[in-house]
Amino acid sequence: MRNLFLFFREHYFYFLFLLLETFSLILLFNYNEFQGSSLYSVSNAVSGSVNSMFSGISEYFSLRKTNRVLIEEMAKLHSRIPEAFYTTDVNVFYKKDSIVHLEYKYISAKVISNSTNKRNNFLMINKGSMHGIENHMGVIIGNKIVGQVVSVSAHFSWIMSMLNKDSRISGKFKKNNQLVNVEWNGGSYRKGQVKEIPKHIVMVKGDTIITSGNSDIFPEGLMIGTISGFKNAQDENFNNGEILFSTDFNSLGYIEVVVDMMRKEKEELKESFKSQ
Amino acid sequence: MTSRTVFFNIIRFFFLIFFQVLILNHINLSGYINPYFYIYFILLLPFDTPKWMLLITSFILGLSVDIFTNTIGLNAAACVMMAFARPFVITAISSGPESLLGDTPSLKNQGLKWFLYYAIILTLIHHFTFFYLEIFRFSEFMATFVRMLLSSAFTLFLMLISEYLLYPRGK
Repeated sequence: MRNLFLFFREHYFYFLFLLLETFSLILLFNYNEFQGSSLYSVSNAVSGSVNSMFSGISEYFSLRKTNRVLIEEMAKLHSRIPEAFYTTDVNVFYKKDSIVHLEYKYISAKVISNSTNKRNNFLMINKGSMHGIENHMGVIIGNKIVGQVVSVSAHFSWIMSMLNKDSRISGKFKKNNQLVNVEWNGGSYRKGQVKEIPKHIVMVKGDTIITSGNSDIFPEGLMIGTISGFKNAQDENFNNGEILFSTDFNSLGYIEVVVDMMRKEKEELKESFKSQ
Repeated sequence: MTSRTVFFNIIRFFFLIFFQVLILNHINLSGYINPYFYIYFILLLPFDTPKWMLLITSFILGLSVDIFTNTIGLNAAACVMMAFARPFVITAISSGPESLLGDTPSLKNQGLKWFLYYAIILTLIHHFTFFYLEIFRFSEFMATFVRMLLSSAFTLFLMLISEYLLYPRGK
């Protein structure tokens, strides 16, 4: 027994190293399980308050750009209100409540931390569960996609950017509705990869890829990007292409979180089928 | 270890964490390079730091940076690995007792060659662990390797600048 003690005392450095290294790796690889747990809430709250302080300062440097975006957005909205139309027929704007249901609601929030230079990039925004944000909601800027919510605390949300190895967006060709997957394999933050394009699809540079609406995260028809290059594989069933993202991930100021009002209904429908 | 050394190390600990998360994490050179300069703290711990303290402070250092980047465990694992290697690296590159002059490892006391070996080996160990744990697949081996080397070079560059600024030679 005494020898055992001595043995441990002599080699404690190795044991302590193994203990700490194992502990770090457990934390790292259980990342998904820990999401939403107290550890992540604490981490969100701490980094959120520091980041919002810092972004409060850096916000001033982009005021001009933010203003321009807001004015553009306002002009776009102004052109949609009924007063902007020349009404030829009153019935055009008459909508019965039982026909039109609100399906998507948008919550605007400010980005307080963002990165594009890591292999796995995340954003933090200054709104959280208090404002109705939940996990797996989509995040957009204008009509372009940004990512999805992966962790929420009371005042902040943590968003997995499209620039992440775990990010996989279901998209489609605007011209013929062919489904594809959009991923990002590191490198430049302007370019991603389009996977699983069926062989018979004829691609041209500049083809638009939009969201498919299949994933319950994004509504259909949001811009992902345009094809900037492709390779015709010889021996495989699918071609791969390169996509130029419409979103400029390096200059995100204010974004919107998409709340799918009918998500519960969609999920219940899927569940009821599974349980049959 | 005097209380003065302890005090300076505590200040350095917080300074490097905030420098890392508030400034360096926002640096974006050609979308590839991201320096992890905060590990300078581990390099500068005094020679007579107890080994257990070396591991535990490195772990806390890594975890603190992790909390700000929401990568719990990633920096911690890389830092613990680096701290574990530190005593072996010091033994391996030191030829005699005269190379362990002074309280803490520095370019001024140990000379350029010694310090370069010391910093390069430990930075590479840290960055290697960090980048391959972050990606955790071998399909992007070469791309990750380039990123690792470029980032290491940048980190080392910052370390050398600080060495020359904080401890000017020839006094």
